[in-house]
Amino acid sequence: MSSGPYNYSYIFKYIIIGDMGVGKSCLLHQFTEKKFMADCPHTIGVEFGTRIIEVAGQKIKLQIWDTAGQERFRAVTRSYYRGAAGALMVYDITRRSTYNHLSSWLTDTRNLTNPSTVIFLIGNKSDLDGQRDVTYEEAKQFADENGLMFVEASAKTGQNVEEAFLETAKKIYQSIQDGRLDLNAAESGVQHKPASTGRPLAAPPAKNDNCAC
Amino acid sequence: MDDVLDEVVSSEDLEKFEKVFHEQLHQGNVTHKAQFEYAWCLVRSKYATDIRKGILLLKELFNSHAEGKRDYLFYLAIGNARIKEYNKALHYIKRFLEIEPTNQQVLALERQINKRMETEGLVGMAVAGGAVLALGGLVGLGIALASRK
Repeated sequence: MSSGPYNYSYIFKYIIIGDMGVGKSCLLHQFTEKKFMADCPHTIGVEFGTRIIEVAGQKIKLQIWDTAGQERFRAVTRSYYRGAAGALMVYDITRRSTYNHLSSWLTDTRNLTNPSTVIFLIGNKSDLDGQRDVTYEEAKQFADENGLMFVEASAKTGQNVEEAFLETAKKIYQSIQDGRLDLNAAESGVQHKPASTGRPLAAPPAKNDNCAC
Repeated sequence: MDDVLDEVVSSEDLEKFEKVFHEQLHQGNVTHKAQFEYAWCLVRSKYATDIRKGILLLKELFNSHAEGKRDYLFYLAIGNARIKEYNKALHYIKRFLEIEPTNQQVLALERQINKRMETEGLVGMAVAGGAVLALGGLVGLGIALASRK
């Protein structure tokens, strides 16, 4: 859409990255559809999802690029990092190798995004605590050392999924308010949609947040 | 930017992967990887000629590299949908779903293609509807003129 009234004031671009099988697409699906996708085949290339959320009274449309974890897609999916305002970096708490690869995912993210990009670390599959292979404390320390936000979440139960997506948006919004994120920069990952004239001041009618429109 | 069909590759990316592909072509040894990466960029181009070229490369891969079949089918569907060859796109989706009937990513693409066909179909119908109205008007005028005599 090139013109017309928007029902949101900002667009934030997100990417979801991490090894294959850590549950990136399931996290996206849980966030956009509020459902757990039990049968989750490997993503082909990239998948795309949107949802409108609200931060500090502002409606924000999240455009989320979920990248395939398989190595053969890596070269092309790297181009999706450009201009991401938020990066959700995911590992699986029951598979140590996915945690060990985080530093390489982090290097890629830092090299290909802006200094203002918010990076949020998610330890997925927190419902499988019995099979845990990475402690919370260890991951928290890694996150702190690298200045990342962090939660353990479960795409299956939905625990902390909303929080991860929303906290990332709050941090980005805060960066805009503080002037650390330049809205005019070509690759800030944020677009401001000025409200159309005659925007109703009254509460808008209830909308379907999951509408991909 | 509302769905994967709207997404356009950047010219730098297209050139980058084109270069690798052509270098390998020149040396007479094109890897599946280089051909797929180039084709994946081509089908996301804003130019139909690029997309058609990408489709040809994907078809070639589909026939020569069994391991990547699901990826090739998926991007064959995307490429065809982007040049409005919707029936071909749906044909590739059908073939994909024969192997993985519940794949959400492919089912979502199918919905997007159907939505586009519907929107564009309605536009076509509106034009046809207008023609019917105009024809009705002419007939009406003819009757009116005839009855005057």
